[in-house]
Amino acid sequence: MSHLKSIINSVTDYNSYVDEYVREARKDEQVSQRLLEQWKSISESIPQTKTPTGIDIPRLALPHLDEAGSIARYLYGEGLPGEFPYVSSIYKEMYLEPDDFNPTTEEPTRLFAGLGTAKDTNKRFHFLTKNQQSHRLSTAFDGPTLYGMDSDTAGVFGKIGEGGVAIDTVEDMEQLFDGFDLSAATTSVSMTINGPAPTIMAMFIAAAKRRFGEKVVAKLRGTVQADILKEIQGQNEVLFSTGASLRFLLDMMEYSTKHMPKWYPVSISGYHISQAGASPVQQAAYTLSNGFAYAEMMQQRGLNINDFAPRFSFFFDCGMDLEFLSLTRVCRKLWAIAMRDVFQGDSRSQKLKVHTQTSGRSLIAAEFENNLTRTTTELMMAYMNATNSSHSNSADEPFTTPSEKYVRLASHSQSILLEESGLFRHMMNTLSGSYGMKVLDKKLEQAILDEFTEIDRLGGVIGAMDQRYQRSQIQSSAHTYEKQIAEGKRRIIGWNRYISQEEQVTPKLVRISDKKKQKQIDRLQKFKEKNARKAKKVLKKLCKVVHNNGNVFEELISTVEVCSLGQITDCLQTEVGKFRPMI
Amino acid sequence: MKLSTRHPIRLLTAVPLCDGHDSAINTINQELIQHGFEVIYMGYHRSAEAIVRAAIQEDVVAIGISSYNGGHIEFFREIVHLLKKNKRPDIGVFGGGGGTITPDDVKIMVKDGVDAIYLAGTSFDYILNDLTKRYSKKCSKGQSLAELLTQTENGETFPAPAKGNTKVIGITGPGGAGKTTLIDEWVRGALIDQPELSIGILSHDPSSVSRGGLLGDRASMIYCEDDRVFIRSMATRGQQGGLSIATEDCLKWMTSKKAGFDIVFIETVGTGQEALPFSSDLIDHKVLVLHPEYGARLQLQKILMLDCADTVVLNKSDWSGAARALQEIKEQSKTSNIFTTHACQHNDKGVKLLRKEWLS
Repeated sequence: MSHLKSIINSVTDYNSYVDEYVREARKDEQVSQRLLEQWKSISESIPQTKTPTGIDIPRLALPHLDEAGSIARYLYGEGLPGEFPYVSSIYKEMYLEPDDFNPTTEEPTRLFAGLGTAKDTNKRFHFLTKNQQSHRLSTAFDGPTLYGMDSDTAGVFGKIGEGGVAIDTVEDMEQLFDGFDLSAATTSVSMTINGPAPTIMAMFIAAAKRRFGEKVVAKLRGTVQADILKEIQGQNEVLFSTGASLRFLLDMMEYSTKHMPKWYPVSISGYHISQAGASPVQQAAYTLSNGFAYAEMMQQRGLNINDFAPRFSFFFDCGMDLEFLSLTRVCRKLWAIAMRDVFQGDSRSQKLKVHTQTSGRSLIAAEFENNLTRTTTELMMAYMNATNSSHSNSADEPFTTPSEKYVRLASHSQSILLEESGLFRHMMNTLSGSYGMKVLDKKLEQAILDEFTEIDRLGGVIGAMDQRYQRSQIQSSAHTYEKQIAEGKRRIIGWNRYISQEEQVTPKLVRISDKKKQKQIDRLQKFKEKNARKAKKVLKKLCKVVHNNGNVFEELISTVEVCSLGQITDCLQTEVGKFRPMI
Repeated sequence: MKLSTRHPIRLLTAVPLCDGHDSAINTINQELIQHGFEVIYMGYHRSAEAIVRAAIQEDVVAIGISSYNGGHIEFFREIVHLLKKNKRPDIGVFGGGGGTITPDDVKIMVKDGVDAIYLAGTSFDYILNDLTKRYSKKCSKGQSLAELLTQTENGETFPAPAKGNTKVIGITGPGGAGKTTLIDEWVRGALIDQPELSIGILSHDPSSVSRGGLLGDRASMIYCEDDRVFIRSMATRGQQGGLSIATEDCLKWMTSKKAGFDIVFIETVGTGQEALPFSSDLIDHKVLVLHPEYGARLQLQKILMLDCADTVVLNKSDWSGAARALQEIKEQSKTSNIFTTHACQHNDKGVKLLRKEWLS
């Protein structure tokens, strides 16, 4: 049974509760008095700061309210930053310049990188984190790795190291993070991998153990995307049948919940749903409902909501559409209410943590340097939505794995907005809660709830998925989007408007040489040769665990010591069956 | 835009190995269908070998590949090479993708033998016109099974071929019953159990009012991707009732000595209650596949196939209500040969029993 119906009801109930409270505040003298006093004390408690030119301002911008009903609506309908239902933000002072009251600040930059071999990507990681205090490493894998295949599989040669790093073995994984202290509180690793996530994650743990000893496991920080539901709905990187895929994923989530307190076990992603063509509302509705489904499945395994929900993180796309001005705000509210009232989660579980990436789909090849402006516009909306971390795309991405030049510019667009400009530096809620935002808050909330109703009618997330509901909705939105561009109804500068007559410049391409690709194959084959005998034995053991309903992930941590990614995928596919794609 | 051909142009589209970007190809497929093309769509993450095998079996005029995450030069080169190697260099190759395919790449790819690459930003109209111009005049003349099927489908008549020793299983049932998955799971095990077995599949999908059609069964039939399995996708081309007007004649080829299959499956489109698609005496065994939510008992009474099916399969037996459904089917159907399956489950026991039944 899906929880969606109760979630819809809990949101409706919450809204009625706020309305009721507003009425009471206006009718009941005592309530009114109490609220006015509360508001006064809140206003007075806000620390002050100065702009660089010397103007005194508060560190939190509050609306000018002098009537109890409006105060009640603001405090309970929206909430102060860091307070339920967290519409404007889950933390009190997101990106503000540190001061005596709040000495830490969010450093949201987390740039996605991956190219060539582990060695190449390692070099890129060192380049990207050169000036950062915290080392936030975000890894992109190449096609064969994403599909759980070895680099020496027939037909994949051209794809080795393209668009991401080639990882075949635990030895590659050791090289990938060479020189970074994985036990440090300032290092965190994010891995964008889904179908083979349990195997790759097992390699990550095994490699960390090799370098820092057994005890490092509890200290590892970061996240692995691993969200298989959105793969089936949108991104199409699925290796095993739906049931088996979910089982392996939950095995991994259960393990990290129990043994890795600093780790985020899944990154529930709307980004790929959106990139596959979903509208902003579809992105939010499908992603949130997937998140609820995971929470439900974890609870079914007997895990306590407050042991895992605080470590769920979300990953959203931010594109050029107006809806993005409010989308994350609405998601925070819906998640908070559902966690509190349906899942009985505490305040840590109620806080929706969001990573936002600017939209790859919005980037255009024609006059590609315009992409700098597009990305900055999207980033601006992401910060207005108080995202916890962000990735800004490089302008040359329509053509290539980003070159250092455009990666640097993309990273700087974040710094310019957060550090150079005063917009997000001195005062919380500078732009939050504008008239337009509020109009959108309401419209989006209703539209997302309507989607929940439809998914619930089809039997919940999995039931709807089996009937291709999310896929067909996403595909139909994608078709509409392309049609709008083709017909000029959706204006794209340099593409269907103001088209340049000059010859188009293509940026320098980052491509991996055949020699390098061959080197990766040689390295892998040496590993396989060396471990051939042991591999056979441990694969047999792995099969046994699958059969006996054991925790497959725990077993994988030792399997990866002597087996490659492809060997493990093949073994598991023979055991549980391959995924039959849906179109 | 007007089509100049008498018969719909048959194309095969796919996304390469290790690539799941299907948004662009889905849109292109829709446009193609609306403009009267028949598109055999293989889905994403497909190897060059599988694409070429399918293209030859389907005897399409061209293969369209949508590539987004690199390695396109090698992948297209492999497609062209395999077509030549398998003596079908006449099958065209075109493609497209995002900006990852640069104008310089296109020069290399065209030199390698690719007909056309539509770069990001090419309009639908241009693509549709160009494809029509390139491929509408091609016609099938060869004598291979695949080419004879094309000619038959396009209305040419032939003397009846010598009959082979082939068992024909007709599979029908409402849309969503899981017919395609059932066949794929059946084939998966059969290929392992019987190392000599060769299988033919004649799979039907509806044509749209535009005369085009999306023939997508191959996308999920991943275990049928084998040299011992021959799949042919057919659009109904305006015929009601679950099959095409050419099905009967195509079946003669599929069951011929020349084709040499041990077993042939013929799968109808998702059918309604009144459908009785298997009138031909070429079909040895008529199978009706249902799932537990076919509706109330009253509707079950109206499913005419229940009267003449040799076997009824209740698929998706994991769904709630399966037991009740099974009871009702037992009461309503003439045959007592009733199986329950959960075909999307790897190694399903019910499908195993069906394998035994149809291989005996």
